[in-house]
Amino acid sequence: MSTTSLLVVPRLAAGRLSALRLPPTVILSLAILAVVIAWSLAPGLFTAYDPARGIPAHKLLGPSAAHWFGTDHLGRDLYARIVHGTASSVTSALIAVGIGVLAGGLIGLLAGFLGGLVDTLLARLVDVLLAIPRFLLAIIIVTALGFDTVNTAIATGISAVAVFARVMRAEVIKTRQATFVEAAFLQGGSRWHVLWRHVLPNASRSVLALAVLQVGLSILVIAGLAFLGYGDPPPASDWGLLIATGKDYLKWPWLVYAPALVTVAAVLSLNRISRWLRRTD
Amino acid sequence: MRHPYLIYAGKRLAQAVAVILLTYLFTFVVVSILPGDPVTNVLRDPQNGFSEEQIQAIIAAQGLDRPLLIQLWTSLTHFLSGDFGLSMRSSRPVATLIAEALPSTLTLASAGLAVALGLAFAVAYGTQFLPGRIGSALRAFPSLFLSVPNFVIGLALIHVFGFQLGLFRVIEPDSAWATLSAAIALGIPISAQIAEVLIANLDHEARQDYAAVARSRGLSPARLFGKHLLKPSSLPVVTVIALTVGELLGGSLVTEAVFGRNGIGSLVQRSAAAQDLPVLQAVVALAALVFVLVNLAADLVYPLLDPRLKLVGNPERRPETADEATPSSLRTVAG
Repeated sequence: MSTTSLLVVPRLAAGRLSALRLPPTVILSLAILAVVIAWSLAPGLFTAYDPARGIPAHKLLGPSAAHWFGTDHLGRDLYARIVHGTASSVTSALIAVGIGVLAGGLIGLLAGFLGGLVDTLLARLVDVLLAIPRFLLAIIIVTALGFDTVNTAIATGISAVAVFARVMRAEVIKTRQATFVEAAFLQGGSRWHVLWRHVLPNASRSVLALAVLQVGLSILVIAGLAFLGYGDPPPASDWGLLIATGKDYLKWPWLVYAPALVTVAAVLSLNRISRWLRRTD
Repeated sequence: MRHPYLIYAGKRLAQAVAVILLTYLFTFVVVSILPGDPVTNVLRDPQNGFSEEQIQAIIAAQGLDRPLLIQLWTSLTHFLSGDFGLSMRSSRPVATLIAEALPSTLTLASAGLAVALGLAFAVAYGTQFLPGRIGSALRAFPSLFLSVPNFVIGLALIHVFGFQLGLFRVIEPDSAWATLSAAIALGIPISAQIAEVLIANLDHEARQDYAAVARSRGLSPARLFGKHLLKPSSLPVVTVIALTVGELLGGSLVTEAVFGRNGIGSLVQRSAAAQDLPVLQAVVALAALVFVLVNLAADLVYPLLDPRLKLVGNPERRPETADEATPSSLRTVAG
């Protein structure tokens, strides 16, 4: 609501956090993300088990106090494997979004700011990227690059370029028409000065919200590629790969449900935060 | 009205043709320029046991020894005349391979779309009709559906219906129950996008003046919904459905792998594993062709369905995400 901004001003003195007035679901999402980030930075702090070493006698145990998510077919602790696989899943998603933001952002920026022929040419390029189903595009690129986790991340990133280009272009065009941009030009500002000082900062909010959303989507796409076997082979333990391994042991369903639960929780949190970023303009 | 529509249709048609040709060029560039080389990776792989003469024969048959531009020209002209070349892996015509795989994927994709539509309309109309708590709880559904990968839904369905309830056997992927489960797995994430647009439209229409007038004159919510809100908020879904075509195909690649179906998905997987580029290129080009044609059809039909849309000057781009489809006025109010 637009009233929020009116309420926020007098409250600033009372502390920034209360001024932000985080909805409870956003606090929960941030907490989940904090756990995921901690898992990927220092997995050793969260589990004493070695993710690669199994005890054959302890294979396919159900979830218990000793093994939170049970053990897999080689007697490895599933919780440890998820925690240690987090870094790979999170890093790949970040690589993918980084490629999307940089390449897509640049395309959108040039198309929106320069307009004319450049805009038309880049718009057709974006149409082409949009016309190929995203997942199929990622498979083609990863096939051409070779099968490993970094390449699945690159392929996912390229398949996200079009979305970023479109949002960036729309934001740039919206800002270009604003009076203050006109004023900046009239004051003698150069194109690149106006672009850097006025257009980019104004577009960054929408692009940030999109980027957060795309981290979640990229986690899903990369998990899908890992599920089909285009990522690193075991003993890597990306979330998608864990689910793929679990599918052969459906009689012990926690092998699928535990990594799936972690994936869904992470993606859901990212979606919620992205929504919140868009709403608090 | 008639004249601007023809101009619009002409522009849109030209654009579609350009995108299809460019897509072909794009896939050609991706598969020829990127570092992976199928000849060295697959043909010369000692495990595959091709003799030197066989390798030379395949290279000559595929025209891989000619300059890139000539390769592009021959493959493009052949593609336009419906000749997709030979598979490198099996030496069978690509067109035959695709024709064999297509029916299974089409069945799955159309069943998945039906599930997605049914679910999206049920959720969206539920948010309007169901009382307080339940109605607003339904609003969280699209976000939830969007966060669950379809292979997880598929595995959960196999676990519950296949293993626990014994409704179908995993070794019979084409049985009715297995197909229905695959369609549900494919449809749920796609329903989320349709439902998001639908909910946003319904909210928008319900806030319009005409709805307030109707309410103040004592129209029951059900009548208001059925007579006034239903049509204007459901029409834009036509274009959203067209946009989900790509995801139906992309999603069925994974769903087919989960359920062990033999379709385009398994064809793509086998071809990707063997770097069988002619097959991959044909599948991508066909997918893009279908996507462009479906969206062209949606764009051409939509102005006829919705007379409020006036085509003056440049044709407006259609909304392409749930966020864009939300009218901008609504977004500022909600923000």
